[in-house]
Amino acid sequence: MELILLIILAGSAVTAVFLHDLLKSALSLILASIVLAIIFFMKNAAYAGVFEISVVAGLIMVLFIAVISMTKHEGILLRESGFPLILFPVIFSLFAVAGIFVINRLMLQVNAGNTLQGTFGQFLWEKRTLDLAGQAAVILAGVIVVLSLFRKGKEDE
Amino acid sequence: MNNLTLDLVFAAGLVFLGLYCLLFMRNIIKLLIGVEIIAKGVTLGFISGGFARDSVFLAQCLVITVIVVEVSVMAAALAIVIRLYRHNDSLDIRRLTRLKG
Amino acid sequence: MLGYVLIPLVLAGLLPLVSRFSRKFLLDFLPNVALFCLLLYSLASQSGNIDSIVRQLFWFGQPVGLNLCIDGFSRLMLFLIYLVSFAVSIYSVSYADAENLGSKAYYYGLILVIVAGLSGLVMSSDIFSIYVFLEVAAVASYGLTAYSRGAEETEGAFKYLLLSAVASGLILFGIVLLYSFTGALDLGEIFIAARNPNNRAVVMVCMSMFIAGFGLKSALVPFHTWMPDAYTASPATLPALSSGLLIKVSGVYALTRIISVFGLNPAVSLVVVYAGVVSVVIGTLLAIGQTDFRRLLAYSSISQVGYVFLGIGLCTPLGITGGLFHLFNHSLAKSLLFFNAGSLEQSTGTRDLSKFGGLGKRMPITAGTSVVGSLSVAGIPPLNGFWSKLIIIIALVQSGHPCIALIGVLASVVTLWYFLLVQSRAFFGKLNDTWKGVRESGFWMSSASLFMALICIFIGIFFALFVKSWIKPAASAIMQGMNYVRF
Repeated sequence: MELILLIILAGSAVTAVFLHDLLKSALSLILASIVLAIIFFMKNAAYAGVFEISVVAGLIMVLFIAVISMTKHEGILLRESGFPLILFPVIFSLFAVAGIFVINRLMLQVNAGNTLQGTFGQFLWEKRTLDLAGQAAVILAGVIVVLSLFRKGKEDE
Repeated sequence: MNNLTLDLVFAAGLVFLGLYCLLFMRNIIKLLIGVEIIAKGVTLGFISGGFARDSVFLAQCLVITVIVVEVSVMAAALAIVIRLYRHNDSLDIRRLTRLKG
Repeated sequence: MLGYVLIPLVLAGLLPLVSRFSRKFLLDFLPNVALFCLLLYSLASQSGNIDSIVRQLFWFGQPVGLNLCIDGFSRLMLFLIYLVSFAVSIYSVSYADAENLGSKAYYYGLILVIVAGLSGLVMSSDIFSIYVFLEVAAVASYGLTAYSRGAEETEGAFKYLLLSAVASGLILFGIVLLYSFTGALDLGEIFIAARNPNNRAVVMVCMSMFIAGFGLKSALVPFHTWMPDAYTASPATLPALSSGLLIKVSGVYALTRIISVFGLNPAVSLVVVYAGVVSVVIGTLLAIGQTDFRRLLAYSSISQVGYVFLGIGLCTPLGITGGLFHLFNHSLAKSLLFFNAGSLEQSTGTRDLSKFGGLGKRMPITAGTSVVGSLSVAGIPPLNGFWSKLIIIIALVQSGHPCIALIGVLASVVTLWYFLLVQSRAFFGKLNDTWKGVRESGFWMSSASLFMALICIFIGIFFALFVKSWIKPAASAIMQGMNYVRF
């Protein structure tokens, strides 16, 4: 079951990269996000799955589609060459073989971590607080960057 | 090939796909899609690792942080892309040749 | 201790509000005062001779998962961060006005966020937190690169962003592998896990990902291509911050921490040393034909960071001391040079070196500080750059790499040559007629340049004292790996 999901994920990611139409690319990326979230749910990572859908498939994709429609004129006209698509399966199979080999080498033992108590919220707040502070900081940084790039200037159109 | 190997191979494959996209695609919005795919690969890797180590909570915290960081980077990147489009009137990366040397 | 991160962040958030009340004075005043106070605080905390402070913070009586650790290495970095950012902030007071950068609230906000991110990076005891704060500083730097929104800087910012995103992806994947196979995220846990003989292969693979990722962030060859583009057209304070701080802290500091935690491995040492040598050579060679002052400084940065990696890659106490000292000196000198580039650009309106001529008569302060900066980078006694390069060369010879030492010396000579060329062409000689009406740059810009130049000279003269009180504790902290106490 999980293998099927992983293949759909990989397939939609590949189509997202190699499609010419940007809008269809974005839609295929949304499909990939949803499949990834389903995989997360299957691994008991409910919070990550919810976050993935709401933020990635929601927020980021909305931003993407907004920018794509803003630049619609050129976006359709730009044709990529066919060359990367042909080369891709070759290189990818080489990589997959190498990857499987390497990861099997690494797989000596994977011991389980310590069992966790409490709810997820407690865990996030108490154990990874520095990450939360970092998230707040990075959101602040992003907001300031976007605001500064769109500020009213003298030479604004 | 057990579960973790399968997942990590796919995660590595997604990262590789993203890098491939960044190398070969010409449309700058496609390049940002490549960055997004790298992030997906990494989050898949984290959750699979957490699942195999029986500590999914920790993995979820890391994944949530990565997703938030990704949002910020994407927002900044898209703002820059809009600026680029207004200057060059084109989304082609081959047009970005003002800086040479 | 948390104030290092919180104060700049809160200030960055409040600045847009402040700008509604007072257009000029308060906007300039607050960031400078805040950075100055934090600089004094970081200076003062050195006097207590504590080895490493690990603090668990409390929030309303509950232990909160904030483990901050400051050891000698972090303290050195904090001092450097606040020194350079304070100078940049002073410089910005007149620079931003003259450049018509619009409201300074966002500009100062970005600088403050970079400072906060880097402070958090050097104080975190967890490899994932290192990544998060790295991204904080990186996102702010993307914004700062594209700040003046012209065509060239937007292009440079975009290329920088792409390569930096690749680097972050590589670093994250290394963390994924590390976490999946060893479950260690805290630096102390990684220390234990890396000593485990079962994990040798994992350590190798992760190490190579980290070298690629952090090497990309610190513009190590062959990952250096973003640097000249990002520095060319952005506001002059960005390269000063980026080359002076971002590369050093997010690249060199993070990689050094990881190398010291993973253990000193001969293969890793070899790779780092050779990458350093290649950077030194290629950076120097590529700088020779440049006519754009900023690109020349960017390539020179690439080669100097190569020196730092040479020193650190040797993994001997002397090598690490030399590498750290050179890191510090180069930050000061390169920021100074970028300040001068900004002053030149503002006064004459061009970055093209072939158009300059004899500006020394009209801009004496810029010329004088530029000479100090150039000589420091090229490594001339008694300036600070000389001592740090000397230590690195001695360390190279001591550990049995005499030919690399020779390459280092030769590259230094070439660096001296082209910097003297730049100085003579730009500042001395006959005054070009077009620049008759040029005036010296504003008060704050000149005083920032003077400040940096004086520190370079001061450290150059008193280098022994500086090395003993600041660099030695940092080097010993790296050498002994991490001795964290888990809570």
